[in-house]
Amino acid sequence: MKIVHSWLKDYLGEALPPVAAVEELLTFHSFEVDGVEEVEGEAVIDISVLPNRASDCLCHRGMARELASLIGVPLENDPLSEKLDLATTDKVSITIESAEACPRFSAALITGITVGESPTWLQTRLRALGVRSINNIVDATNYVMYAIGEPMHAYDADLFKQVEGKWHFVIRNAKVGETVSLLAEGGKDEDRIVELTGTELLIVDGATDTPIGLAGVKGGRYAGVHAGTKNIIIEAAHFHPTITRKTARRLGIVIDASKRFENEPSRELIPYAQNEIIKLIADIASGTFEGWVDEYKETKVNPQVVVPVAQVNALLGLALETSEMEDILLRIGSDIVAMDADSFTVIGPWERNDLLIAEDFIEEIGRIHGLHHVVSIAPEAAPLVEVNVRQFYTEAIRHELIEYGFSEVVTSSFTNKDVIQLQNSLASDKTYLRSTLTKNLHKVLDSNFTHTDLLGMRDVRVFEIGTVFDKTETSVSEHTSLAIGVRTKGNGYNPKDDAILKTACETVEQVLGAKLAWQMEKGVAEANLSTVFDSLNKPTSYGEYVSRQINTYKPVSVYPAMSRDVALWVKEDEMSFDVETTIGHAAGNLVVRIDLFDTFTKDGRTSYAFRLVFQSFERTLTDAEVTTHMDNVYQVVAEKGWEVR
Amino acid sequence: MTQMISEINQIFSEIGFVYASGPEAETEIYNFDKLNVAKDHPSRDMQDTFWFKNKDVSEPMVLRTHTSPVQARYMEAHQPPIRMIVPGKVFRNEATDATHEAQFYQLEGLHIDKGVHLGHLKGTLEYFFSRFFSGRTEVRFRPSFFPFTEPSVEVDMKLLDGDSKLAGKWIEVMGAGMVHPNVIKGCGIDPTVYSGYAFGIGIDRLGVMRYGVEDIRDYYTGDLRFVNQF
Repeated sequence: MKIVHSWLKDYLGEALPPVAAVEELLTFHSFEVDGVEEVEGEAVIDISVLPNRASDCLCHRGMARELASLIGVPLENDPLSEKLDLATTDKVSITIESAEACPRFSAALITGITVGESPTWLQTRLRALGVRSINNIVDATNYVMYAIGEPMHAYDADLFKQVEGKWHFVIRNAKVGETVSLLAEGGKDEDRIVELTGTELLIVDGATDTPIGLAGVKGGRYAGVHAGTKNIIIEAAHFHPTITRKTARRLGIVIDASKRFENEPSRELIPYAQNEIIKLIADIASGTFEGWVDEYKETKVNPQVVVPVAQVNALLGLALETSEMEDILLRIGSDIVAMDADSFTVIGPWERNDLLIAEDFIEEIGRIHGLHHVVSIAPEAAPLVEVNVRQFYTEAIRHELIEYGFSEVVTSSFTNKDVIQLQNSLASDKTYLRSTLTKNLHKVLDSNFTHTDLLGMRDVRVFEIGTVFDKTETSVSEHTSLAIGVRTKGNGYNPKDDAILKTACETVEQVLGAKLAWQMEKGVAEANLSTVFDSLNKPTSYGEYVSRQINTYKPVSVYPAMSRDVALWVKEDEMSFDVETTIGHAAGNLVVRIDLFDTFTKDGRTSYAFRLVFQSFERTLTDAEVTTHMDNVYQVVAEKGWEVR
Repeated sequence: MTQMISEINQIFSEIGFVYASGPEAETEIYNFDKLNVAKDHPSRDMQDTFWFKNKDVSEPMVLRTHTSPVQARYMEAHQPPIRMIVPGKVFRNEATDATHEAQFYQLEGLHIDKGVHLGHLKGTLEYFFSRFFSGRTEVRFRPSFFPFTEPSVEVDMKLLDGDSKLAGKWIEVMGAGMVHPNVIKGCGIDPTVYSGYAFGIGIDRLGVMRYGVEDIRDYYTGDLRFVNQF
C-alpha cells in the first residue's frame, strides 16, 4: 500500500520522522517497506501491510497512528478522536434484510453543492497514490478512504428515485438470475452487466427495487454524480467481509474499496468517515449538510483480555519491567482496565480487530520494544529419541545405488493421465497424480542418453524414491515407491539394460534385508517400499554420516553438445594427463569435457583415446566450427610428434 | 535435494530433533483447521491449493500446501518435550517460473517444552545456518503474520565469514514464530504449561543460496547434467 510521506504530517505534526527513519522504524517494528519513489515532488512509500493489520493500517491515519506508537507520541490531530455531533434527517430511510450481512449502513444528505475540479493539493495527493482525479465529489470519497480507511460512495440525490420526498435504500441478498450493471472498468466503454447467483449482497433503490451496486464490491452508473449534480447522498457502510471477498473474487474485481471491505475495518469508523467527508465537501464543493441516517444493527466490540505479566517475558525471551509493558500497551492505544503485579486486563483500540488474545498483545509488546533485544540461546546436544525408518532405509538404498553408478532424480508428482484426477490444476497436462514412478523414469532415461558424452558416462543409470497415489474404496491412498532404471543404448530399451538392473535390485534387497515385489518394464524396476518398512529392523541411529563435498554449481547450456574422438600413439612413458592438457588447450575454450576412454601399450608405444565434448552457451555449434577446432588439435599433435590413429 | 535433506537431518539430529513424516495427500482439517487457518482464508481458495475430487474421498482432501500438518499430527501423538523437523514435498497451485514450482520441498521445525521462547528459536536457527552454510551466521527477526504463530517473525540471516556472494549481507530466509495457542490446544497440549516455536523454509531456496542454483525447476527435471553436479 502506498503512503504519501507528507500526508502523515496531517496527523503527526512535527513529530513525523524523515522518510529514511520511517522506513527503518516500520521495517524493524511493523511492516516490510517495498520501496520509496518520488511522484511530483512527494515521497511515496510502498508498504506491505500485514494481513492482520489490514483493517486499520490501509490508510494514512492508521499508518500515522502506528508510527506514533513506535516513537511514543500522541497524534497531534486525530480524526478518530473528534467529538461527533452530526444532525439527523428523516428524508432517507434504510432497510437492511440481514444484520449479519450488513451490520451498519449510513447515508448523509448534502444539498447545494457545485461539482468541479478538486483543488491542487487534493489532486496531487491522489495522483501520488496512482489514483485518477475525476471531480471534487468522487475525489472526496476516495480521499477519505485513503485518509481513514472507510470506503464511501456518492449518489446524485435527484437521480435517485424518491417516494413522497424520501429516499429509500434497501440492502438485501441478490435473487438468482437478477442482474446488476456495474461501472465500466478502466478503458472500456460499456458498463458491465453481471448476472447474479444469489450469494451476493446488493444495494437496492427501495423505490423501484432496482439493484444499484454490489455491496462492498462495486457500484453502478445509477444516480452517478455528474457535472450538473446539485444534491448528493453519501453512503458509508459495513459489509460482511467474506461475502464481499467471495463476490469480488468470483467476478475478478479487485479495487481499493473492495480490498478494504474484505479486511473488515471497524464499524465504529462510519460516523467519523461521514464527519470527515462532510467537512471536506463543504470546503471544496460548498453545499449544506442536511443530516444523516445511521442504521446500526449489530455492534462489535473488542474483547477484554487478561495478559499475564510472566507470560510476556516467558514467550518473548525478554526481561521487561511491568512499567515497560504498560507503557507500550498505552502507546498502541489500548485501554488498561485493570493492572496488578501479575497481570494486565486490556482492551485493544476500537479501530483494530487483531487484538483478541494475550499472545496478540504480547506480540505488540515484543515488536514495539524491538525484536533485536531477543538474545539467542544456543541449543544443547540432545539424544535422539526416534530414528525415522523411512529416512534410514532410503538413505541406505541411496548409498548403495550411488556406489553402483546410479544418480538419484526427483520428478513431478503430476502427470497427464492416471488414476486420481485433481479438482483444479493450472496446467492441462498436469491434472492427474502419478500412480507409478516408472513412466517418468522412462522419460528421464531417454532424454539423458543424449547427454552421456557431456556427462562422461557410457550408460544412464537413475533411480527415484517418491510418493505415488492410488484409490481405495473410500479414499485416496499413497505409498513410497522406489524405481530404478537403466539405459545402455540410445534408442530405447535394450535387453542388456536388465543385467545391470537385476544387480541393482538385488543390492537393494540386500541392504534392506527383505525381498521386494518388483514390477519390471523396459529397463525400469519398481517396488512398493511402504509395505516393507514396518517389517524391517528398527534402526537406533542414522549411522555414519558422510558429507559430500560439492564444487561450485555451474549452470548448464541449453544448446546441444557435439563429440569428437581422437586416438593417438605417444611415447610409452608419456603421461595421459599431459597429453590431455595439450589437446585441451589446442581444442579451445568450447571444450567442456575431455574423457580418456581407452589406453593400451604395444611395441614400445602407448595409445590414448580421448572423447572431446564441445558445447557453447550462446548457440548450437556447427560441424564446420568443431572441425576447425579439431584441425587445430591435429596440427598441435603433429608438432608434438604424436601419431593420430 | 535429498542430499540437502540428509545433511539437514544430520545437523538437527545432533540437537535431538526427530525427523517426522506424514502424508502428501492431507485432509483439509490437518492442512488448515488444526493450524488455525480461518475457514474463509484466501489460501484455501482454488487458487493456491490443489483439491481432490469429492467423489474420490470421504472428507475434503488436498495436496498438502506445507508440512505443518505433520507437526499437528505429531503433537497429537506425543506429549512435550517435542523436538522435530519435517522435510517434505509440498504443493501449491501457482504459476511456475524460475523461483516457483507447483511442487517443492519445505523444511519445517518445531520445539515445544516448558519455557521455550524466541531466544531458543534464534539460537537454533543460528546453529542450523552456521552448520549448513559452514560459517558463523547471525540471525535477526522482523515482525510478520502467520495464522499458526503469534508472535510471528520474518527471519533474516547474515553469513559473517567467507567470500561467497552471500557473505556480509542480510538475506530474508524464512518465516517463524511462537506456535499459536489455538494450534497447541487443538493438538491436545496445554498452552498454559507449554510453549514452543515453529519455523518453515523452502529447501529449494536453501539450494539456491548455497549452490547458486538459478532455476528451481531444475531440481525436478531429472536432467543428469544438473543432478550429477551434486
